[in-house]
Amino acid sequence: MGFYLLTYLLTLANDTDVDYGRGPWIRKLRMDLSEDVIEGLHLAGDSVHIPDQSFLLLLRIVSESIVDRRPADPHLSAKKEFGSVDRGTLKQVYAALGALLLEAAKLDKDVAAVSQVLEDCKFSQERIKQLIAVYQQHKQPLRSVLSKIGSNLPHVVDVDWRLDYYIKNNNLEKVSRPVFLIDLKTRVNASEETETVQIACTQDQLQDLVGKLRDACKGLERVAQL
Amino acid sequence: MLLILGDEHKQHLEYLCSVSLDVVQEFCRLSVEFLMKGTNAKIYNSAAQKLGVEAIIIQKAIEGLMHLFLESSKLLLNEIDFRDSVKAAGFSDELQSELLRCYLENQADIRRIQLDISMGLSHYRDLEWRLDVKLASRSLRHQVEPVVTMKLHVKDSGKEETRLLQTDPVNLVHMTRTLEEALQELNSAHCRRICRNF
Repeated sequence: MGFYLLTYLLTLANDTDVDYGRGPWIRKLRMDLSEDVIEGLHLAGDSVHIPDQSFLLLLRIVSESIVDRRPADPHLSAKKEFGSVDRGTLKQVYAALGALLLEAAKLDKDVAAVSQVLEDCKFSQERIKQLIAVYQQHKQPLRSVLSKIGSNLPHVVDVDWRLDYYIKNNNLEKVSRPVFLIDLKTRVNASEETETVQIACTQDQLQDLVGKLRDACKGLERVAQL
Repeated sequence: MLLILGDEHKQHLEYLCSVSLDVVQEFCRLSVEFLMKGTNAKIYNSAAQKLGVEAIIIQKAIEGLMHLFLESSKLLLNEIDFRDSVKAAGFSDELQSELLRCYLENQADIRRIQLDISMGLSHYRDLEWRLDVKLASRSLRHQVEPVVTMKLHVKDSGKEETRLLQTDPVNLVHMTRTLEEALQELNSAHCRRICRNF
Protein backbone atom coordinates (compact mmCIF):
# COMPACT_ATOMS: atom_id res chain seq x y z
CA MET A 1 0.00 0.00 0.00
CA GLY A 2 2.81 2.40 0.94
CA PHE A 3 4.49 1.76 -2.39
CA TYR A 4 1.45 2.89 -4.37
CA LEU A 5 1.08 6.00 -2.22
CA LEU A 6 4.73 6.86 -2.91
CA THR A 7 4.40 6.49 -6.68
CA TYR A 8 1.21 8.56 -6.65
CA LEU A 9 2.96 11.37 -4.78
CA LEU A 10 5.91 11.20 -7.17
CA THR A 11 3.66 11.58 -10.20
CA LEU A 12 2.05 14.62 -8.59
CA ALA A 13 5.46 16.22 -8.05
CA ASN A 14 6.59 15.57 -11.61
CA ASP A 15 3.29 16.28 -13.25
CA THR A 16 3.93 19.36 -15.32
CA ASP A 17 0.30 19.57 -16.39
CA VAL A 18 -0.91 20.46 -12.91
CA ASP A 19 -2.16 24.03 -12.94
CA TYR A 20 -0.87 25.82 -9.90
CA GLY A 21 -3.08 28.81 -10.52
CA ARG A 22 -2.15 32.47 -10.30
CA GLY A 23 -1.31 34.88 -7.48
CA PRO A 24 0.86 33.68 -4.61
CA TRP A 25 1.35 30.37 -6.38
CA ILE A 26 3.24 32.10 -9.12
CA ARG A 27 6.38 31.58 -7.04
CA LYS A 28 5.78 27.86 -7.08
CA LEU A 29 5.99 27.73 -10.86
CA ARG A 30 7.83 24.68 -11.95
CA MET A 31 10.96 26.70 -12.43
CA ASP A 32 11.30 28.26 -9.01
CA LEU A 33 11.95 31.80 -10.25
CA SER A 34 12.30 34.53 -7.66
CA GLU A 35 9.88 37.44 -7.25
CA ASP A 36 12.35 39.90 -8.76
CA VAL A 37 12.69 37.77 -11.84
CA ILE A 38 8.93 37.40 -12.22
CA GLU A 39 8.55 41.15 -11.87
CA GLY A 40 11.26 41.68 -14.48
CA LEU A 41 9.47 39.27 -16.82
CA HIS A 42 6.25 41.19 -16.43
CA LEU A 43 8.14 44.33 -17.43
CA ALA A 44 9.77 42.51 -20.34
CA GLY A 45 6.45 41.45 -21.73
CA ASP A 46 4.98 44.90 -21.45
CA SER A 47 5.36 46.86 -24.66
CA VAL A 48 4.92 50.15 -22.81
CA HIS A 49 8.17 49.60 -20.94
CA ILE A 50 10.05 47.68 -23.61
CA PRO A 51 9.11 48.47 -27.20
CA ASP A 52 9.16 45.64 -29.74
CA GLN A 53 12.47 46.52 -31.39
CA SER A 54 14.24 46.82 -28.07
CA PHE A 55 12.83 43.47 -26.93
CA LEU A 56 14.28 41.57 -29.87
CA LEU A 57 17.68 43.18 -29.55
CA LEU A 58 17.75 42.62 -25.81
CA LEU A 59 16.92 38.93 -26.22
CA ARG A 60 19.74 38.51 -28.66
CA ILE A 61 22.26 40.38 -26.49
CA VAL A 62 21.34 38.44 -23.34
CA SER A 63 21.58 35.01 -24.94
CA GLU A 64 24.78 35.73 -26.81
CA SER A 65 26.57 37.22 -23.84
CA ILE A 66 25.80 34.15 -21.70
CA VAL A 67 26.80 31.66 -24.35
CA ASP A 68 29.95 33.51 -25.39
CA ARG A 69 30.75 34.19 -21.75
CA ARG A 70 31.23 37.88 -22.41
CA PRO A 71 30.68 40.39 -19.63
CA ALA A 72 27.68 42.66 -20.11
CA ASP A 73 28.25 45.85 -22.05
CA PRO A 74 28.17 48.68 -19.47
CA HIS A 75 27.05 51.16 -22.13
CA LEU A 76 24.08 49.12 -23.20
CA SER A 77 21.55 51.77 -22.20
CA ALA A 78 23.33 54.28 -24.44
CA LYS A 79 22.35 52.33 -27.56
CA LYS A 80 19.74 54.13 -29.61
CA GLU A 81 17.31 51.18 -29.51
CA PHE A 82 17.09 51.52 -25.76
CA GLY A 83 16.70 55.28 -25.82
CA SER A 84 13.17 55.26 -24.48
CA VAL A 85 13.79 52.63 -21.84
CA ASP A 86 14.38 53.62 -18.24
CA ARG A 87 17.82 52.38 -17.08
CA GLY A 88 16.57 50.67 -13.94
CA THR A 89 13.95 48.82 -15.94
CA LEU A 90 16.49 47.80 -18.54
CA LYS A 91 18.74 46.30 -15.86
CA GLN A 92 15.91 44.34 -14.29
CA VAL A 93 14.61 43.06 -17.61
CA TYR A 94 18.11 42.02 -18.72
CA ALA A 95 18.56 40.06 -15.49
CA ALA A 96 15.09 38.50 -15.69
CA LEU A 97 15.49 37.29 -19.26
CA GLY A 98 18.90 35.84 -18.45
CA ALA A 99 17.57 34.08 -15.36
CA LEU A 100 14.65 32.60 -17.27
CA LEU A 101 16.79 31.25 -20.10
CA LEU A 102 19.34 29.74 -17.71
CA GLU A 103 16.80 28.22 -15.36
CA ALA A 104 14.86 26.68 -18.24
CA ALA A 105 18.04 25.25 -19.78
CA LYS A 106 19.24 23.96 -16.41
CA LEU A 107 16.03 22.04 -15.76
CA ASP A 108 15.77 20.89 -19.38
CA LYS A 109 12.34 22.46 -19.70
CA ASP A 110 10.43 22.00 -22.94
CA VAL A 111 8.75 24.71 -25.00
CA ALA A 112 5.37 24.19 -23.35
CA ALA A 113 6.70 24.84 -19.85
CA VAL A 114 8.51 28.01 -20.88
CA SER A 115 5.46 29.25 -22.80
CA GLN A 116 3.34 28.67 -19.73
CA VAL A 117 5.59 30.88 -17.63
CA LEU A 118 5.55 33.61 -20.26
CA GLU A 119 1.77 33.48 -20.55
CA ASP A 120 1.50 33.83 -16.80
CA CYS A 121 3.66 36.95 -17.06
CA LYS A 122 1.33 38.41 -19.64
CA PHE A 123 3.58 38.15 -22.68
CA SER A 124 1.95 38.66 -26.07
CA GLN A 125 1.89 35.65 -28.39
CA GLU A 126 4.34 37.38 -30.69
CA ARG A 127 6.88 37.89 -27.90
CA ILE A 128 6.38 34.35 -26.67
CA LYS A 129 7.23 33.07 -30.13
CA GLN A 130 10.34 35.25 -30.30
CA LEU A 131 11.60 34.17 -26.91
CA ILE A 132 10.91 30.50 -27.57
CA ALA A 133 12.84 30.76 -30.84
CA VAL A 134 15.87 32.21 -29.03
CA TYR A 135 15.52 29.58 -26.28
CA GLN A 136 15.49 26.70 -28.71
CA GLN A 137 18.40 28.10 -30.65
CA HIS A 138 20.55 28.55 -27.59
CA LYS A 139 19.38 25.73 -25.33
CA GLN A 140 22.26 23.36 -26.09
CA PRO A 141 24.97 26.05 -25.79
CA LEU A 142 23.40 27.21 -22.52
CA ARG A 143 23.45 23.66 -21.16
CA SER A 144 27.03 23.33 -22.29
CA VAL A 145 28.04 26.47 -20.37
CA LEU A 146 26.19 25.25 -17.26
CA SER A 147 27.79 21.83 -17.41
CA LYS A 148 31.21 23.39 -16.95
CA ILE A 149 30.26 24.97 -13.63
CA GLY A 150 30.98 22.81 -10.63
CA SER A 151 33.95 21.20 -9.03
CA ASN A 152 35.85 18.44 -10.70
CA LEU A 153 38.94 16.43 -10.11
CA PRO A 154 41.85 17.45 -12.33
CA HIS A 155 40.77 16.36 -15.79
CA VAL A 156 43.41 14.75 -17.98
CA VAL A 157 43.42 16.31 -21.42
CA ASP A 158 46.76 15.27 -22.89
CA VAL A 159 49.74 12.99 -22.41
CA ASP A 160 53.38 13.68 -23.25
CA TRP A 161 56.09 11.10 -22.98
CA ARG A 162 59.83 10.90 -23.21
CA LEU A 163 62.17 7.93 -23.30
CA ASP A 164 65.54 8.28 -21.53
CA TYR A 165 68.36 5.84 -21.05
CA TYR A 166 69.50 5.89 -17.42
CA ILE A 167 73.27 5.34 -17.49
CA LYS A 168 74.58 6.12 -14.02
CA ASN A 169 74.21 8.38 -10.98
CA ASN A 170 76.49 9.61 -8.20
CA ASN A 171 75.83 6.56 -6.05
CA LEU A 172 75.85 3.88 -8.63
CA GLU A 173 77.65 3.17 -11.87
CA LYS A 174 76.13 1.08 -14.64
CA VAL A 175 72.45 1.55 -13.94
CA SER A 176 71.85 1.08 -17.66
CA ARG A 177 68.18 0.89 -18.19
CA PRO A 178 65.48 2.76 -20.12
CA VAL A 179 63.18 5.11 -18.21
CA PHE A 180 59.98 6.68 -19.49
CA LEU A 181 58.95 10.13 -18.27
CA ILE A 182 55.19 10.59 -18.63
CA ASP A 183 53.55 14.01 -18.36
CA LEU A 184 49.82 14.03 -17.76
CA LYS A 185 48.38 17.43 -18.60
CA THR A 186 45.33 18.17 -16.47
CA ARG A 187 42.80 20.94 -16.49
CA VAL A 188 41.06 21.94 -13.27
CA ASN A 189 37.48 23.21 -13.29
CA ALA A 190 37.15 24.43 -16.85
CA SER A 191 39.86 27.07 -16.53
CA GLU A 192 42.26 27.46 -19.41
CA GLU A 193 45.40 26.63 -17.43
CA THR A 194 46.81 23.16 -17.35
CA GLU A 195 48.80 21.54 -14.58
CA THR A 196 51.17 18.70 -15.16
CA VAL A 197 51.47 15.45 -13.23
CA GLN A 198 54.83 13.87 -13.96
CA ILE A 199 55.66 10.23 -13.33
CA ALA A 200 58.57 8.02 -14.27
CA CYS A 201 58.19 4.39 -15.36
CA THR A 202 60.43 1.53 -16.18
CA GLN A 203 59.44 -0.64 -19.11
CA ASP A 204 57.59 -3.11 -16.88
CA GLN A 205 55.73 -0.38 -15.05
CA LEU A 206 54.64 1.25 -18.29
CA GLN A 207 53.43 -2.11 -19.58
CA ASP A 208 51.40 -2.50 -16.42
CA LEU A 209 49.96 1.00 -16.81
CA VAL A 210 49.08 0.49 -20.46
CA GLY A 211 47.49 -2.86 -19.61
CA LYS A 212 45.26 -1.23 -17.02
CA LEU A 213 44.30 1.58 -19.41
CA ARG A 214 43.40 -1.01 -22.06
CA ASP A 215 41.18 -2.76 -19.52
CA ALA A 216 39.45 0.56 -18.83
CA CYS A 217 38.88 1.12 -22.56
CA LYS A 218 37.45 -2.38 -22.96
CA GLY A 219 35.18 -1.80 -19.98
CA LEU A 220 33.94 1.38 -21.63
CA GLU A 221 33.28 -0.39 -24.93
CA ARG A 222 31.26 -3.08 -23.21
CA VAL A 223 29.13 -0.50 -21.44
CA ALA A 224 28.66 1.44 -24.65
CA GLN A 225 27.30 -1.66 -26.34
CA LEU A 226 24.62 -2.24 -23.73
CA MET B 1 89.00 -2.18 -12.87
CA LEU B 2 90.61 -1.93 -9.48
CA LEU B 3 89.26 -0.27 -6.43
CA ILE B 4 92.11 1.69 -4.83
CA LEU B 5 91.70 1.83 -1.07
CA GLY B 6 92.90 5.03 0.60
CA ASP B 7 95.54 4.84 3.33
CA GLU B 8 93.16 5.77 6.09
CA HIS B 9 90.72 3.17 4.83
CA LYS B 10 93.47 0.50 4.86
CA GLN B 11 94.41 1.52 8.37
CA HIS B 12 90.85 1.03 9.59
CA LEU B 13 90.64 -2.38 7.99
CA GLU B 14 94.00 -3.49 9.41
CA TYR B 15 92.30 -4.53 12.63
CA LEU B 16 90.61 -7.34 10.74
CA CYS B 17 93.98 -8.96 10.06
CA SER B 18 94.55 -9.40 13.77
CA VAL B 19 91.32 -11.25 14.64
CA SER B 20 90.09 -14.76 13.95
CA LEU B 21 88.02 -15.67 10.90
CA ASP B 22 84.72 -16.02 12.69
CA VAL B 23 85.12 -12.52 14.11
CA VAL B 24 85.67 -11.30 10.56
CA GLN B 25 82.55 -13.20 9.47
CA GLU B 26 80.61 -11.53 12.25
CA PHE B 27 81.91 -8.09 11.26
CA CYS B 28 80.95 -8.72 7.63
CA ARG B 29 77.45 -9.73 8.66
CA LEU B 30 77.16 -6.64 10.87
CA SER B 31 78.37 -4.30 8.16
CA VAL B 32 75.78 -5.61 5.70
CA GLU B 33 73.08 -5.39 8.34
CA PHE B 34 74.05 -1.80 9.09
CA LEU B 35 73.91 -0.99 5.38
CA MET B 36 70.39 -2.35 5.19
CA LYS B 37 68.96 -1.06 8.43
CA GLY B 38 71.25 1.64 9.80
CA THR B 39 73.99 1.56 12.44
CA ASN B 40 73.60 0.61 16.08
CA ALA B 41 76.22 2.10 18.44
CA LYS B 42 75.44 -0.39 21.22
CA ILE B 43 76.84 -3.21 19.12
CA TYR B 44 80.20 -1.43 18.90
CA ASN B 45 80.37 -1.17 22.67
CA SER B 46 79.42 -4.77 23.38
CA ALA B 47 81.87 -6.06 20.72
CA ALA B 48 84.61 -3.83 22.15
CA GLN B 49 84.05 -5.31 25.60
CA LYS B 50 84.12 -8.88 24.27
CA LEU B 51 87.28 -8.39 22.24
CA GLY B 52 89.10 -6.17 24.68
CA VAL B 53 89.73 -3.18 22.41
CA GLU B 54 88.35 0.32 22.18
CA ALA B 55 84.92 0.75 20.66
CA ILE B 56 86.23 3.25 18.13
CA ILE B 57 88.50 0.64 16.54
CA ILE B 58 85.56 -1.73 16.07
CA GLN B 59 83.51 1.11 14.64
CA LYS B 60 86.19 2.10 12.14
CA ALA B 61 86.65 -1.50 11.07
CA ILE B 62 82.98 -2.09 10.44
CA GLU B 63 82.55 1.27 8.71
CA GLY B 64 85.57 0.45 6.58
CA LEU B 65 83.90 -2.78 5.51
CA MET B 66 80.67 -0.93 4.72
CA HIS B 67 82.57 1.53 2.55
CA LEU B 68 84.42 -1.29 0.79
CA PHE B 69 81.18 -3.09 -0.09
CA LEU B 70 79.46 0.13 -1.17
CA GLU B 71 82.22 1.18 -3.53
CA SER B 72 82.56 -2.31 -4.99
CA SER B 73 78.83 -2.57 -5.63
CA LYS B 74 78.81 0.91 -7.12
CA LEU B 75 81.44 -0.08 -9.67
CA LEU B 76 79.97 -3.56 -10.10
CA LEU B 77 83.32 -5.22 -9.48
CA ASN B 78 83.52 -8.83 -10.53
CA GLU B 79 85.26 -11.57 -8.54
CA ILE B 80 88.72 -11.08 -9.95
CA ASP B 81 88.72 -7.31 -9.62
CA PHE B 82 87.43 -7.48 -6.06
CA ARG B 83 90.07 -10.02 -5.05
CA ASP B 84 92.81 -7.94 -6.65
CA SER B 85 91.67 -4.76 -4.92
CA VAL B 86 91.54 -6.45 -1.55
CA LYS B 87 94.87 -8.17 -2.13
CA ALA B 88 96.48 -4.78 -2.77
CA ALA B 89 95.34 -3.76 0.70
CA GLY B 90 97.41 -6.57 2.16
CA PHE B 91 94.81 -9.07 3.31
CA SER B 92 95.57 -12.77 3.62
CA ASP B 93 93.99 -15.21 1.16
CA GLU B 94 91.57 -16.49 3.75
CA LEU B 95 90.40 -12.98 4.53
CA GLN B 96 90.05 -12.21 0.86
CA SER B 97 87.82 -15.23 0.29
CA GLU B 98 85.64 -14.33 3.23
CA LEU B 99 85.22 -10.75 2.06
CA LEU B 100 84.52 -11.92 -1.48
CA ARG B 101 81.88 -14.36 -0.30
CA CYS B 102 80.10 -11.67 1.67
CA TYR B 103 80.33 -9.22 -1.21
CA LEU B 104 78.87 -11.58 -3.79
CA GLU B 105 76.07 -12.72 -1.52
CA ASN B 106 74.87 -9.21 -0.84
CA GLN B 107 75.76 -7.35 -3.97
CA ALA B 108 72.24 -7.31 -5.40
CA ASP B 109 70.73 -6.05 -2.14
CA ILE B 110 73.34 -3.34 -1.72
CA ARG B 111 72.78 -2.11 -5.27
CA ARG B 112 69.05 -2.04 -4.65
CA ILE B 113 69.54 0.20 -1.64
CA GLN B 114 71.91 2.45 -3.53
CA LEU B 115 69.30 2.83 -6.22
CA ASP B 116 66.65 3.61 -3.66
CA ILE B 117 68.63 6.43 -2.13
CA SER B 118 69.53 7.84 -5.52
CA MET B 119 67.76 10.86 -6.85
CA GLY B 120 64.61 9.52 -8.33
CA LEU B 121 61.47 10.80 -9.86
CA SER B 122 58.00 9.82 -8.70
CA HIS B 123 57.69 6.31 -9.94
CA TYR B 124 54.44 4.75 -11.03
CA ARG B 125 53.19 2.00 -8.78
CA ASP B 126 49.58 1.29 -9.60
CA LEU B 127 46.48 2.65 -11.33
CA GLU B 128 42.93 2.06 -10.18
CA TRP B 129 40.12 3.17 -12.42
CA ARG B 130 36.37 3.33 -12.42
CA LEU B 131 33.63 4.46 -14.76
CA ASP B 132 30.96 6.87 -13.53
CA VAL B 133 28.15 8.65 -15.29
CA LYS B 134 27.42 12.20 -14.21
CA LEU B 135 23.66 12.54 -14.02
CA ALA B 136 23.14 15.98 -12.57
CA SER B 137 24.81 18.81 -10.74
CA ARG B 138 23.52 21.85 -8.92
CA SER B 139 23.85 23.90 -12.09
CA LEU B 140 22.52 21.40 -14.62
CA ARG B 141 19.95 18.60 -14.49
CA HIS B 142 19.30 15.75 -16.89
CA GLN B 143 22.92 15.13 -17.84
CA VAL B 144 24.45 11.94 -19.14
CA GLU B 145 28.19 12.45 -19.05
CA PRO B 146 30.54 9.49 -18.73
CA VAL B 147 33.56 10.15 -16.53
CA VAL B 148 36.51 7.87 -15.88
CA THR B 149 37.96 8.40 -12.40
CA MET B 150 41.51 7.20 -11.77
CA LYS B 151 43.62 6.79 -8.68
CA LEU B 152 47.30 6.91 -9.54
CA HIS B 153 49.68 5.47 -6.93
CA VAL B 154 53.22 6.86 -7.11
CA LYS B 155 56.30 6.28 -5.00
CA ASP B 156 58.89 9.01 -4.53
CA SER B 157 62.04 7.98 -2.61
CA GLY B 158 60.16 5.86 -0.13
CA LYS B 159 57.10 8.07 0.22
CA GLU B 160 53.92 6.83 -1.36
CA GLU B 161 51.35 9.21 -2.73
CA THR B 162 48.06 8.85 -4.49
CA ARG B 163 46.68 11.30 -7.01
CA LEU B 164 43.04 11.43 -8.01
CA LEU B 165 42.43 12.26 -11.63
CA GLN B 166 39.54 12.05 -14.01
CA THR B 167 39.15 11.92 -17.73
CA ASP B 168 36.49 11.34 -20.37
CA PRO B 169 36.28 8.36 -22.73
CA VAL B 170 37.84 10.22 -25.65
CA ASN B 171 40.89 11.28 -23.66
CA LEU B 172 41.16 7.82 -22.15
CA VAL B 173 41.47 6.25 -25.58
CA HIS B 174 43.93 8.98 -26.60
CA MET B 175 46.05 8.33 -23.49
CA THR B 176 46.07 4.59 -24.10
CA ARG B 177 47.11 4.95 -27.74
CA THR B 178 49.85 7.49 -26.97
CA LEU B 179 51.37 5.34 -24.24
CA GLU B 180 51.22 2.24 -26.44
CA GLU B 181 53.21 4.19 -29.01
CA ALA B 182 55.76 5.01 -26.31
CA LEU B 183 56.17 1.31 -25.50
CA GLN B 184 56.56 0.47 -29.16
CA GLU B 185 59.35 2.98 -29.45
CA LEU B 186 61.49 0.90 -27.10
CA ASN B 187 61.52 -1.88 -29.70
CA SER B 188 62.66 0.37 -32.53
CA ALA B 189 66.07 -0.14 -34.12
CA HIS B 190 67.44 3.13 -32.78
CA CYS B 191 66.66 2.37 -29.15
CA ARG B 192 67.88 -1.18 -29.38
CA ARG B 193 71.19 0.02 -30.77
CA ILE B 194 71.73 2.48 -27.92
CA CYS B 195 70.67 0.02 -25.23
CA ARG B 196 73.01 -2.63 -26.59
CA ASN B 197 76.01 -0.32 -26.52
CA PHE B 198 75.78 0.56 -22.87
